[in-house]
Parts: sequence; structure tokens; C-alpha cells
Amino acid sequence: MNPNPSSNTPAIAAPPPGDIKHDPKKPFSPSRSRRDRNNLLWGMAFLSPNILGFLAFTLVPLVMSLGLAFSNWDLRLHNMFTDERVKFIGVDHFINLFNDRNFYQYLGNTLFFLLSLPIGIALALLGAVLLSQDLTGGGRRGRGLTTASLLGISVVMVTSVVLLTLTGMFTTALMIVLAGLFGVILVGGSIGGQTVYRTLFYIPNFVSGVATILLWKKLYNPIDGPINSGLEAPLAAVGRTALAMPPWLFPVLSIALFSAALFLLARGVYRLRSQHVDGDIGFAGFILGSILLALPLLLAFLFWAPASWMGSVSIGLLGLLIGFWIFQTASRPVQFKSKTSEGIGGAIMLGILTLAGASILIGLASVARNLPIIAGDTEGLTPPLWLQTPFWAKPAIMLMGLWGAIGSQTMLLYLAALTNVPGELYEAADIDGAKRSQKFWNVTWPQLAPTTFFVFVMGIIGGLQAGFEVARIMTQGGPAGSTTTLAYFIYAEGFETGRLGFSSAVSWTMFILVLSVTLFNWKFGNKYVND
Amino acid sequence: MSTIDPAADIHAARRAVDTQRERRAVFGSIRMHIVLSILAFLMCLPFLWMVLTSLKPLSEVGGDVWLPSRIETTRMLGIPVPQNYVDVFDYNNPDMHRRGIQFARFYWNSIFVASWVTFLQVLTSAMAAFSFSRLQWPGRDRVFLMYLATMMLPGLVMMIPNYQIMISLGLVNTLTGLILPAAFSAFGTFLLRQFMLTIPMSLDEAAEIDGANKWRVFWDIIMPMARPGLITLAIFTFMGNYGSIFWPLVMLKSEANYTLPIGLMYFDSTRGQSTHLLMAATTMSIAPMILVFVLLQKYLVKGIQLGAVKG
Repeated sequence: MNPNPSSNTPAIAAPPPGDIKHDPKKPFSPSRSRRDRNNLLWGMAFLSPNILGFLAFTLVPLVMSLGLAFSNWDLRLHNMFTDERVKFIGVDHFINLFNDRNFYQYLGNTLFFLLSLPIGIALALLGAVLLSQDLTGGGRRGRGLTTASLLGISVVMVTSVVLLTLTGMFTTALMIVLAGLFGVILVGGSIGGQTVYRTLFYIPNFVSGVATILLWKKLYNPIDGPINSGLEAPLAAVGRTALAMPPWLFPVLSIALFSAALFLLARGVYRLRSQHVDGDIGFAGFILGSILLALPLLLAFLFWAPASWMGSVSIGLLGLLIGFWIFQTASRPVQFKSKTSEGIGGAIMLGILTLAGASILIGLASVARNLPIIAGDTEGLTPPLWLQTPFWAKPAIMLMGLWGAIGSQTMLLYLAALTNVPGELYEAADIDGAKRSQKFWNVTWPQLAPTTFFVFVMGIIGGLQAGFEVARIMTQGGPAGSTTTLAYFIYAEGFETGRLGFSSAVSWTMFILVLSVTLFNWKFGNKYVND
Repeated sequence: MSTIDPAADIHAARRAVDTQRERRAVFGSIRMHIVLSILAFLMCLPFLWMVLTSLKPLSEVGGDVWLPSRIETTRMLGIPVPQNYVDVFDYNNPDMHRRGIQFARFYWNSIFVASWVTFLQVLTSAMAAFSFSRLQWPGRDRVFLMYLATMMLPGLVMMIPNYQIMISLGLVNTLTGLILPAAFSAFGTFLLRQFMLTIPMSLDEAAEIDGANKWRVFWDIIMPMARPGLITLAIFTFMGNYGSIFWPLVMLKSEANYTLPIGLMYFDSTRGQSTHLLMAATTMSIAPMILVFVLLQKYLVKGIQLGAVKG
């Protein structure tokens, strides 16, 4: 379907061999062997600085690290005071690791942080789609009109805020600053267009590092941070309103939200089925996507059902119903036969995206269910202590990571991919009378599938190795190890505790995880997404 | 005029349709501008809080009021500079002779390391990329595949052995120890190779017929042609090393050698209660990055889209 897959498939996913073939027609070549030797010499000469460094700081350490993973090297045992010999101890470290409960907690933390990946990708896609809309008002006259009206809007807004403040109707001068900032952005955007917004969106991603982590640490500070002092009043008001509401409202709201989540999941299954019937997704992709979509039910069964038998029965019935539906749709005749593994990436993407939306709705449902109980507490509804509580520390860090997700590198990749979608496809869709949402799901989304798959795989690979900076700077991995990821575990074992051998063993475990994702990417990345 | 002119009628109708379409387009784009502005505004809020807090005296930090009630300044070189930004440099440092050494030193170390790494990495990567993209030698593509494979390696795996290597080289707690391992990059080689493959081979052949050797071809023809790629890699490398955390944290032991990120962490762990000064310090470390980005973003966006950057 994609006419030029190579142009929007990012390069790492498909390393082109890039052979520059030897030209046999070339005249006057000196004797073949001399030429070859000459070429080899030049090639080596140009490569030598890089390859020496590569050997010294990549290949040799890699081999050393593998050796370390099977040794008992520990800075507490092997130092200038107790000079024991470093011994080969076989797979002891790995056995200890797999018996270590902490390891599973840290692995769980790492995987938990990965849950923000689909949300980040969805935000980036939103950013790219918004940025690629027409901002010029069509034509030169339209552009002039747009700019003029936007200038007018910002001038009116800023002056009215200033006047209101001067006459004392607003108590803070902060409003002037905020209105001024908004006005500047609007004016800049109306003059500079897409570039200005793209730049502003990308800045948080570009400056990320110690400075922004420290900034967020201060923002989250429960005592003098602006987030909690800003949340206090609205949350208290929400709490009071919740108590004033009739008590039956919240279970109803909760059920409504939960049903919305179920509807979303069902729609995901429906889309999967229709694509399966059309031959865009093979059987493997269909089953994999369905399993993904069934995940919330499974989790609900594991975590909530034990609480009450009513719950387990209703969830069980629901699961049976959906399972029956999946079974029925799966056994329906397929109109276009496709390979089993066809479109597996697209199916997973669909599953993940639906899952992200559904989990947000389920979270809201749970909030709605518990709101009156929390609000009825003696202290009322208060903002959480964020980084100081094991429950909120991870969501707080994920929220920080999502700041700027709308303008991330993923957004830039999507932006490039969007410009590569052939215009004829949209024209054809227009002729067929497609609605906007239909155009997005049936034209844009399939065309973006290679990019989505790439950023998703890269996000998992990066996410498995992430979390060191945040844990080191914000929380020291705490409270109670709730923000320690594998990367921070490796650092703490290697450089704080000094168990070099054990730390290497953990890092090789992580390496194997990353490798399996990479191999998955190589197997499915190019072949089955890009059809 | 009472006569009906069908042509004029059609024109009028077409104009009406055009105006309607134009109006819809204008309204649509105004709406998009406002949506985008609101999003951009929300993303700027943390930065706004940071800058405003960095101007406050300590007693005003916290609470609902974002604005400082007054901004204390000192005159430096005739320009009024907010007091906090001066205090960062000689905070808690009563010895006037050593005034300003800490924070300025961190800046200098960061820039020193990042510049050297950038220079060395761009040079070695460009040479290797030249070898991989424009020279014929047996086994070339196999070696390149090995390079590509190592890009997938988690850097953490090599961290402990690399530290041992640095101990045996005696480079722990030196800036050289930060520069050396970062000077060679598989990613840079990959990125520049992609760029160089787009340069036509006929240029090399023409130059060789004119009697240029491979070095001349590389230096006089390929390097100027690959300039956008070189600049992109240079910015990535510089910014990456300016803000790098892990390796400096492992390597650096004494305050005089700290780079800016490690210095900021040190500042936070020793004087983190002074939120206003910490925010002044973060503002000062972020501001040059934003400036670099705004000035050079043309290259960055291209580079990210072309190389699909690592991590």
C-alpha cells in the first residue's frame, strides 16, 4: 500500500547495505591485487581512529562485562585491605537475582514506567496532526485576515487584562504576565506559523536533564511547590461538592465511565475483526491484539474480583461474553486470505492505543467510585504528597515525562511521515464521502504504522534502560524502592554497594531483555508493518 | 438594470461560494492557532515559574504568589543583574579571593568537555563514515553491521569495565577521562554515513582523475558537501555531553572537576533548601540550551528526522 516505504521508514529499522558496486567497465585499472591492497590500506587508515576507540571502549568492555557477570568481584571483598582473589563463580549471580524479590519489584517498576509510552506516542501524534493542519487560512488574503484577527485578539485580551487589574478587579499582577505570555505566543505563532509552535513544543525535550528534573522536584514539593498550592483550593472545592451531591451519583458515574471503557475496548475488538476480515491483519496479529485488549479484564479479575463474589461473578460473565464474541468473530469466514503474521505490528499498535484510552477511563471510574469516601475523610480532599509516597511517586515521574511529549522527537518523526502520506489517498477518501475520523483511521493511521511501530519499539528499548537520572536526582530510588528501575539498580549495586560482579549480571539480564525486543523488531518491523 | 445577465449571476454565485470557503478556512486556522497557543502556553508554565522564582528573595518562595514583590539587583559592568544570579556564583563562600570559582568552574568544565568530545567525535565519525560509504575494501559491510549492532547495546553494560579501564589508565577524576570514551561513536558514524551516501560518487571520481588522493577527496570534497550532517552531529554531541549525567557522576570525585549537571546535583544536595538560588542556577543552565536550540533548530529537526535518533 505504501508507495515509498523507504522514505518514511526511519533508517535504523532498515539498515540499507548501501553497496557501491565496483564498476568493472572502469578503464586503466592497475593490477587487481594492488588496487585491492591500496583500497584496503586507505579504508583501514580512515577507519583506524574510530575503530581503535570502538575496540577500547566498546568491544573490550563488553567482553570484560560478560566475564565480570560470572565472577565474585566485590569492592568490599577485593580492596587494598582484604586482598582475596577474584573467583569464577558460574551462574550464582543470576540464580541469586532470580530469587531476589527486589529484582522483581524493580523490573515491575521499569515496566510500569513503560505504561506512559503509548500515552506519549498518542500525544505526539496529536501534536503532529495539529501542527500539520492549515494555519494560513488558505491563500494570501486568508493569511492576512488570520494574522490580523489573531493580532486583534491578543491585543484586546492583553489590554482588557491590564485594565481589569488596574481597576482592581483582578487582585494579582500575575494575570498580566500570563496574558502577556499567551499574547506573545499567539502573535509569534500567527507570524511564524508552524515553526514557532514546533519550537515551543520541542523545548522541554531538548533541555531535559538535571535542570528540568530539579525544577520538577521543586514543582512537586508538597510544602512550597506550586502544583500542590495550586491544587489545594480546587480539590477542596471538588471534595465539598462531592459531599453535597446525592450519594447515588458516584456509583452511577463510575459505572458509566467503566462502560465507556468497555465500549472502547469492544470497538477495538471490532476494528481488529474488520481489519482481519479485510485481510489487513493476519490471524496472529488478531489474536495478539485481542489478548492485549483483554488485559484490563484479566487484571480486574486478578485484583478486584477477590474482594467480593459479586464482583468476580460479574467480571467473569463479562469476560465470558467478550471471549465468546472474540471466538465467534475469529471463526467467521475471512474474505481476503492473508498470511498469519501479516499486520502484526498494526494490530499491536491498535491494541496498545485502545488500551491506553481504556485504562484512563477505568482510572477515572475508580476515582469516581472512591471520591465520596476520600472526601468524607477528616482532612477533606487534599493533594497527594507526590514523590514522598510509594503510590504517587511513579505517576508523578510519568507525568513529568509526559510534559513535552506532545512535541517530542516522536512528534517530529510523525510530522515527517505525515507529509509523506500521498494526497491522492485523501482525495479518494473525499470522493467516497469519508468523514474526518474515518479519514484519520483508514488513511492516516495505516500510513503512519511504520513510524508508530518504530517509535514504539525504540521507546521500549529506551524505557528498559531508563529511569536512572530521575531516580538518582529526585527520589534516590525511593520511597521504599518504588522508583528504582533496572538502570538505577545497576548503578547502585555497581558504584554504591560495590558488587561489581552482581551489577554486571543485572546489566546482562537487562541486555537480554533489550535484545529480545530488538530481535522482535528485526523480525516484524520491516516485513509486516510496511505492507 | 432590469435585464438578467446569467453570466453575472454565475460569477456572483461563485464569488459567494469562494467567500464562504475562505471564511471557513480563516476561522479554522484561527481556531487552530488558539488551540496550539494554549498548548504551548501550558508547556511554558513550569519555565515561567522557574524564572519568576529565581527572581524572588527566599522569604517569598512558596505559596500562591508567583510574582516576586521586588527584585533585588546589583550593578555589574553598569547593568543591573538580579541579586540571586550573582549569589549563585559566590554563595556560601566567604573567602573573597575564591569568589565565583565554583559555578563558573562547572560551566567551564562542561563547555570544555563538550567541545573536545564534539571535535573528536565529529572528526573520527566523519573519517569512519567516509571509509564505510566511499571506499571499497573487503569485509566493509560486515564491519559496518557490527557497528550498527553495538548501537543497540545498553551503555550500562559497558559502564563498570570502562570504569576499570579508566582506573588502570589513571584517568579517574580527570576531564580527559570524560572526553576519551565519548570521542568515538557508532551513532555518529551511522548518521554521517547516511549523509555521505547522498553525495554523488561522480565527484570523487572526477577528483581522482584530477590526481587527488583519498585524503584530498575526503577533506576538500566530501567534508564540505556533508556540512549539514556534520553540524547536526556536532549539535547532538555537544548538547548530549553538556548535559550528560551518568559517566561524569561515576568519574568525577572533586568539586573542581564537576561539570554543570554534576555541579547542579551537588548544589541541590548541599544547598537545595535555597529554592530561589537553585532556580537561578537551573535557569542559567537551561538558558544557553534554549538559545542554541532556537538558533540551530533547522539542523536539528532535519537530523532527527533523517537519523531517527537513538534513545
